[in-house]
Amino acid sequence: MSDIRRARRGETGPATIRKARVRLLASLIVMGAALLGVSAIANAAGPVARAAARVNAKDEAKLHFVHASGSTLIDEGHATGTFPGYVKITFTYNGSPNVGAQFTIYRSEGSIRVRASGTLSSPTNPSPSFKGNVTIIGGSGRYAHAHGGGQLYGVFYRRSYALVVQVQGTVYY
Amino acid sequence: MRTAGLTLAVLAGTVEVCEASTGTRIGRVGSPSSLTGPPTRLHAAFIPKRLGAASSISFTVNIDPPALGEPPPLSAIDFSYPSGLGFATSGLGLASCDPARLEGEGAAACPANSMMGAGHAVVQVVFGPDIVQEQVSLALFAGPSADGYLHLLILASGGEPVEARIVMAGVLLPGHLQITVPPVPGLPGAPAVALTQIQATLGGALTYHERVRGRLISYRPKGIGLPASCPRGGWRLGATLAFMGGGQSHAQDVIACPARRRPARGA
Repeated sequence: MSDIRRARRGETGPATIRKARVRLLASLIVMGAALLGVSAIANAAGPVARAAARVNAKDEAKLHFVHASGSTLIDEGHATGTFPGYVKITFTYNGSPNVGAQFTIYRSEGSIRVRASGTLSSPTNPSPSFKGNVTIIGGSGRYAHAHGGGQLYGVFYRRSYALVVQVQGTVYY
Repeated sequence: MRTAGLTLAVLAGTVEVCEASTGTRIGRVGSPSSLTGPPTRLHAAFIPKRLGAASSISFTVNIDPPALGEPPPLSAIDFSYPSGLGFATSGLGLASCDPARLEGEGAAACPANSMMGAGHAVVQVVFGPDIVQEQVSLALFAGPSADGYLHLLILASGGEPVEARIVMAGVLLPGHLQITVPPVPGLPGAPAVALTQIQATLGGALTYHERVRGRLISYRPKGIGLPASCPRGGWRLGATLAFMGGGQSHAQDVIACPARRRPARGA
């Protein structure tokens, strides 16, 4: 039976209790030093390297109108393809044929943020098409360091404010 | 209630913007060197004026004729507006009208879905020794676009004393609506017709048609989307008018922010 247990059960005198406390303190110090040493060694080794994934992606999203503020529309919907998920897009069309968009694909492992710009043709068409480029600007979770780019193709439905967006490109994460 | 209307007072060649209700000077527009045309006033309004909602925009430009003689004929108008307004996302102009057919056959030649607004104008016609005012109706249509910008066609039709139908071309740029006004010949031997007032509304009570599952249904296009927030001091709009002979006038107006709704007591 250890000294500290004996002390708790009242089987020893005050001298035994003091001795037991000293031993316990010493063993805690040794354990703490050992843990610190392990963590120092781990820090010296640096983060574990992981090969970045490179994926040729092709995704399409059919988005419905949610909200508008002046020349900016906010649409949402589901994306299908290489990165299926829920998409929220902010689409800006201010009269110039150059349209801009920012969208985020939400997936269970994280989100991917994309910036896009394109040129819209036939503005008096009820559903003018646009095409341009996309740049992946980051994300969260598994895609926190996502980057890459590609092409953007889309159709803007001027009556309903709906959008169909297709993206083809390369994603690194 | 605050008055949004502004008056412009011409003092020694400069234009000063004054609040209509109080006469308080709130800003100075332009410079004497750039403003050599007749005094001009602009009034603009959103109907309805609700943040984040679709609206129509109405504007009126008055050109004050000089005390002696008639005002010079107009050659171009440049309306400036905050670029955040949703003109391009208004759902107006879902078809385009052929300008040649519009000039030859009138508004009936244009598809209903190309109609973007309406208005009227007042012109002065030199009729012998007198100057006669003529009422002109305006109809605004979407025109064909070769450059990706929204193009407008404005049909001006007058009856008496000068029967004329002219088509003005406009282009909607971010923050600007530029309209080119062709010369309108007056009676033989008389100077060209001069515009003294133009009032037009983009949006409003328009009827469009769409085919849904084989059936043609009518609907009202949404109109110009207002931003969810109002810029500090309101929306500033301007009109720069260029006249034949080189003169230029400028006017501006401020559409005040809508009053904030106060929450009901006890809510």
